[in-house]
Amino acid sequence: MSFNVLIVDDSRSMRGVIKKIITISGFKMDQCFDAGNGKEALEALVGNWVDVIISDINMPVMNGFELLGMLKEDNLLKEIPVIVITTESSEKRMQNAFDLGAKGFIKKPFLPEEVKKILYKVIGVGDEGEYGEDNGDDEDFDF
Amino acid sequence: MKENMEKITETMRISIFDVFEKMFYIFLESLDDEYQEYDVEAVISFEGAMSGEIRILFSVDMAKTMVQNMLGLGEDEIDGQDIEDCSKEAANMICGNFLGKLDSTEAFNLSIPTYILECSELPAGENVCRMDFDSDGGNVGVVIEVNG
Repeated sequence: MSFNVLIVDDSRSMRGVIKKIITISGFKMDQCFDAGNGKEALEALVGNWVDVIISDINMPVMNGFELLGMLKEDNLLKEIPVIVITTESSEKRMQNAFDLGAKGFIKKPFLPEEVKKILYKVIGVGDEGEYGEDNGDDEDFDF
Repeated sequence: MKENMEKITETMRISIFDVFEKMFYIFLESLDDEYQEYDVEAVISFEGAMSGEIRILFSVDMAKTMVQNMLGLGEDEIDGQDIEDCSKEAANMICGNFLGKLDSTEAFNLSIPTYILECSELPAGENVCRMDFDSDGGNVGVVIEVNG
């Protein structure tokens, strides 16, 4: 079984880095959708089911908190786990994200293995689980 | 104010090292003298318990190295949009990291970073601190203006 992932970040570079990390980690990713803000993310979710959303907070048009609020109000979309990945890591901000339904939090700058670990945790599988393909070398991401 | 600016300077130094090492695989060295040949800058402002503006100055060599290292691309594969995008993301990460280290209990509002092709006139005064760094990949500078 593979998973569909939606990456939401206004930085094209950051979307590329996150996608590369997920690919290198051995995570069984099927389709990878991306969006430049919360509004684009909601549009991407029309007609496309994703298993996990990785979203920035500080974005133009619709920020990550607003996106979390919109997902929470939708009976179907609220079931999709969201990992917040952001520079804004104050305790208040983190609590706000969790209150809005975020299941995980990654602080920028991050190490590749941090993304991998939280992704597996939120999806509910381990590194060596049924859906993960452990390359046996967690600490060695070669870019 | 002086004591506060010293704390701000030291916290920013740790943050910029952290961001450049983790995200761009670049190891910076502090310069004693101000570097004068920056080509582009990314600007971000913040509001909260303290407000102000942070300018990150890049030599074009540094901006290209950052893109190449972050995305794993060759020099001939990157374009101006990549450089702008990467510069703004660097400003965003440095600002967020800096504020989190300065006071993790406070929530700050960060602006969307802007990108300027030619470096503008830099602020000066006792509420401003500046640092310049060197690396094999080029030069980067940071100017922090605290308004209150």
